[in-house]
Amino acid sequence: MKQIALYGKGGIGKSTTAANLSAALAEDGLDILQIGCDPKHDSTRMLMHGTWIPTVLDLIREHGDENIAVDDVVYRGFSGVRCVEAGGPEPGIGCAGRGIIATFQLLERLGALKGDVIVYDVLGDVVCGGFAMPMREGYAQEIYLVTSGELMSIYAANNIAKAIARLSRRARSRCTLGGVICNAKNIEGEEEMVAEFARRINSRLISYIPRSRDVQVAELNRQTVVEYAPESDQAAVYRELGRTVYGNQETSLPTPLEMDELESFAFEFVQV
Amino acid sequence: MNSSPSPLNSSRFEGCTLTGALSVLTEVRDAVCIIHGPAGCAHHNFSLLHATLLASDRFEIPRLLSTNLTENDIIFGGEEALEATIARALSLSPAPASIFVLSTCIVETIGDDTEAVCAKPRSVPVIAVPTAGFLGGVFDTGIKNALLSVASLAGPGKGKPGLSANLIGEKNLEYDVDENAAEIARLIGRLGITINLRFVRGLSTHDLARLGSATVNILREPALQAVGEDLQERFGTPFVDSFPTGLSGTCRFLEDVGRACGIDASGAIADERAYQEEMLERFRDMAGSQVSFQTAHPMLGADPVAETVCAECARALDLTVAPDGVFVPFPYPSPVGTAGLRRMLHGWRILIRG
Repeated sequence: MKQIALYGKGGIGKSTTAANLSAALAEDGLDILQIGCDPKHDSTRMLMHGTWIPTVLDLIREHGDENIAVDDVVYRGFSGVRCVEAGGPEPGIGCAGRGIIATFQLLERLGALKGDVIVYDVLGDVVCGGFAMPMREGYAQEIYLVTSGELMSIYAANNIAKAIARLSRRARSRCTLGGVICNAKNIEGEEEMVAEFARRINSRLISYIPRSRDVQVAELNRQTVVEYAPESDQAAVYRELGRTVYGNQETSLPTPLEMDELESFAFEFVQV
Repeated sequence: MNSSPSPLNSSRFEGCTLTGALSVLTEVRDAVCIIHGPAGCAHHNFSLLHATLLASDRFEIPRLLSTNLTENDIIFGGEEALEATIARALSLSPAPASIFVLSTCIVETIGDDTEAVCAKPRSVPVIAVPTAGFLGGVFDTGIKNALLSVASLAGPGKGKPGLSANLIGEKNLEYDVDENAAEIARLIGRLGITINLRFVRGLSTHDLARLGSATVNILREPALQAVGEDLQERFGTPFVDSFPTGLSGTCRFLEDVGRACGIDASGAIADERAYQEEMLERFRDMAGSQVSFQTAHPMLGADPVAETVCAECARALDLTVAPDGVFVPFPYPSPVGTAGLRRMLHGWRILIRG
């Protein structure tokens, strides 16, 4: 079983990428579990054709964690992808990070963490230990950073690389960086810039996903691109991404950039 | 005094804000204290307070309630659990006259707004006491914050006939807390001053109305300066910053209290000096003995007040301080007033006679 996690700045397109990746892998006949680890709980929505599935934490809140079965939290979406949403507390109260930990404990107890690939789609920033949960022992061994060529997005990716570097120093840790995925915003020289960033943090660009109208149109139709426009170029990109990730044997321990390195990197690539 | 601890003393004085605050608040006897946190935070404190009460032959149960937070409350926020526990406290029989709500490490960490929940109008005052476990400071901070919170229940200060004093911030977990209060009552009695309120020990919520009516506030120790200043600002009551220690310190205390009350203390001081002489007379049999003062326990740091008290008593009794003298521990905590010294000297005599 391969467990991977997608991390990146909020709004960068992690969930779109994750859902299309899961859809592409499922089409190849693999058993896929996608877990949305974000209180916004919209990771799996396109796989579920627009349905908001009950979140694990809503179920825990309403029924207590003793009275929950696998079928209450796992829902089959496009091509049999099993979908889970962790959910979270109401905005502004409680502790969403602890909620992620509780979700993982429940899924483990239910024996739900199985399949050929588990895709963890995690909130924008690793704001606390809870959101680093998928990186811990026994969960995702490969982390993929999703970023565009925008500086804030690269900054966030660098921060996540710091978390990976920190956690990979722990005994028994199996968390590594699988690669960087460029989800393009149509910035000049974007692919080269993200590829260079990946190199500098001791990783590599494994996929360049061009900006495409197909993504928006598919989402308006509440589907992944892989399902809505299976013949499109964009769908082919996601299938290629799926094969690359599934076959990826080459992971690394990242060397995140210091702030001054990040700034000089920015100066090299941004036309002032 | 022992409230400015060296790092060595930290286990005793830099403990949890919650314990410091509860040592004050549970002495408002008709109040209920709600500990907003996991059950363990209430349990530890309940055990400590219950044992302390029993040690003073007080067969009471500390009136503590816990919001009993569990993981789900931490994830989703604990404010509803607090609401429910306040409602439970209000439904107790007899109903509490006031409710104090104390926060713990975890509710402060997840950002529960304890104050906002307490601020809703209810049939009795519900006071949020800033504690927040380690995030709110240490044991001493808890005591200070609790005293200030209880003071918020006091009515406007009204002068009452005659001179009177409040004792502020007695250490309710201390073994000889009542002996110390009795000693202060004896000393200020020489000045014609009575005790108005022990703030806070053995009070009802109703008693708190009298807080502002004393002539002078006597703080247990200088660490409570901020509380003294707050009460002075609120009620115009001057304060003396510590219970007395040592022979000359006790006389100086009478002078300070007299000055704060605008009365001449010279007669009282002369009487107390004579009383001290008479007390020392009973220990003259130790004269000429050699003693060596040492820290009571390796965990305790140096206490300059205790050192001064010991040096002064050794001089008064013609004891010789020598490295190979009889081991005499520095008192801990420092004895209060002349009565405290008498108890200390009894201990010395037992050691010297062997």
